[in-house]
Amino acid sequence: MSVATVGHPETTTLPVIDFVAPMPGFPDDRRFVLVRLEDTGMLYALTSVDSAGLRFLVVPPAQFFPDYAPEIDDDALAALGASDASDLLVLLVVTAGDGVQDATVNLMAPIVLDQRSRRAVQLVLGRSGLSVRQKLVAVA
Amino acid sequence: MLVLTRRPGESVMVGDDVVVTVLDVRGDVVRLGIKAPRSIQVHREEVYRELQKVNREAASPSDVAVRALSRMLRADVEQQ
Repeated sequence: MSVATVGHPETTTLPVIDFVAPMPGFPDDRRFVLVRLEDTGMLYALTSVDSAGLRFLVVPPAQFFPDYAPEIDDDALAALGASDASDLLVLLVVTAGDGVQDATVNLMAPIVLDQRSRRAVQLVLGRSGLSVRQKLVAVA
Repeated sequence: MLVLTRRPGESVMVGDDVVVTVLDVRGDVVRLGIKAPRSIQVHREEVYRELQKVNREAASPSDVAVRALSRMLRADVEQQ
């Protein structure tokens, strides 16, 4: 998808992702689609099916935080119906901020998506000490 | 606010399927055990409030912000 179409993603053909629990702050939005915004695969939009215009920017952590490996507990795996940890996709929610240098990501509460069941949850690593506003800079 | 007195080992039901049990009281620290269905997430209030706030800030960035971020990430990749 080209960047020019970012504001009008073609979401009708994408598989719907069900959140097993809604993201804090958005109790009515459980169904999303994941729209790729970049050919490099570094930036996606998690776009609500239920509320027009609601979307979150998300990034896979590897390119930015290579050591990031959140512990996904058994309760979360069971809630997602995940049978194999290799089906899990971890994404970080981006707060774009006023300028690109201000962009941050939420390391404490990643989105964990089971690609087989298409269920997701915003996993809260409450005692991890990880930041909810970590500066987003690609690793050189 | 409903106020109930409970002793360690005693519980409170919230609705049909949430059980909050007082496990232990030591000084000014109370340990609670909470059983809830998977669709109900249980968080410490301050953690939940912080997440609510950061999620709301993150929601629905402008197209301008998205394009700018997209450009920055592409530039970072090209530098590598």
